[in-house]
Amino acid sequence: MSEGHLTTRVGIDTEELTGKTFPYQHDRSLVDDVDLVAATPGHDLNWLEDIHLLEEDGIPSVFDRYTNAFLKIYFDIPHGREDEYARKVLIKHLQEGNSYGIWLKHKHAKFPQPELGPWRGGSSIVGTDWTPPEMEGWTAPTGRYLDGDEKGTS
Amino acid sequence: MEQVNRPARYDVRGLAEPDADAPRIAEVADGRARFDAEGLSTRQINLEIRRLAYEEGIDDITVANPAAKHSLGVGILTRCRIRFEGSLGYFACGLIDGPEIEITGRVGWSCAENIMAGVVVIRKNAGSLTGAALRGGDLVVHGDVGARTGIDQKGGTILIGGNAGSSTGFMMQRGRQIICGDAGHGLGDSMYDGAIYVAGTVASLGVDCVEGEMSEDDEEMLDRKFGIYGLERPSSFTKFVCGKKLWNYDNLEANERKLVL
Repeated sequence: MSEGHLTTRVGIDTEELTGKTFPYQHDRSLVDDVDLVAATPGHDLNWLEDIHLLEEDGIPSVFDRYTNAFLKIYFDIPHGREDEYARKVLIKHLQEGNSYGIWLKHKHAKFPQPELGPWRGGSSIVGTDWTPPEMEGWTAPTGRYLDGDEKGTS
Repeated sequence: MEQVNRPARYDVRGLAEPDADAPRIAEVADGRARFDAEGLSTRQINLEIRRLAYEEGIDDITVANPAAKHSLGVGILTRCRIRFEGSLGYFACGLIDGPEIEITGRVGWSCAENIMAGVVVIRKNAGSLTGAALRGGDLVVHGDVGARTGIDQKGGTILIGGNAGSSTGFMMQRGRQIICGDAGHGLGDSMYDGAIYVAGTVASLGVDCVEGEMSEDDEEMLDRKFGIYGLERPSSFTKFVCGKKLWNYDNLEANERKLVL
């Protein structure tokens, strides 16, 4: 795993957000055994049908909708198998729990849900203890929220 | 009967019934769960489904007597099978990511809106806005659908066994719609990507929607989807795509690209 440096440029790149790349972005053999049909609901590729190899900063990339960012692919992709490897890298990224948007679940998920969603069974449940963020000097308007009693009914 | 005027109560997340708990009434056998939703509130039904799927790890859940309540089966974010025995109301099964859901009856407005991944099969008719803003996955309606089906669709496949109402595919951005029957007025109005396949007649095309050319990939996709869902495939389809007359941009800004992707 290589460490990178965050920049201030406006971009939608996973490396900008995580500050690093992951081994499966560089090594094709790490994604060869990903079973795309098994990794998706139903009897075909399901949502992966709309995932294609794209390009970001001149580098082959796949778009991770759970982060709203591109994930670059640095290994050589065999001709004619571009979409297949884009999908395999994306699924590996999600199953390994490396999607930046998923990292945010630990702090920001408001409702109980599996951390790794539908990509890997048995993942931990996050969002069980969410509390609203507190801003210093701000109080909730009366009549809008309950504080555990009846005073704020609407 | 004495009417109780209890004001609606909300928790800090804006949810009504802040004290609702999962009723824990499901009968579980051989890894399958089943419960009767009669007498339960919407939130109790949804909490019971989530309890079974998230806490118990059960991946096959049947809900009897849903009584056409609104907003059932929403926000399920794991792989599982859910079967609703009956009809559902508005906004059924929206915002899901992973489940494979079967509804034996009909559904109201906006069924399966915004789903990320999964399968939703409706055995009878569906109301307007079915599959609104669909992001991915398969949505199958055996009967007819109302107006604006797949409005703002951004991915996935909507397969309709019957007819589709007006403005179907309005502002469609990506994905596929397959209509075995007829389509109403304004098909594909202002769509800017994706494809709509119609086996029957089209009352009228919307702005910038034009007839496209069927490819081998289209035929393969159609064969595959009909094979998976056991629907009889009409002998021929006409494909409709964006005419690109409304494409007035050259390069998207980064934030605009996010929306399109």
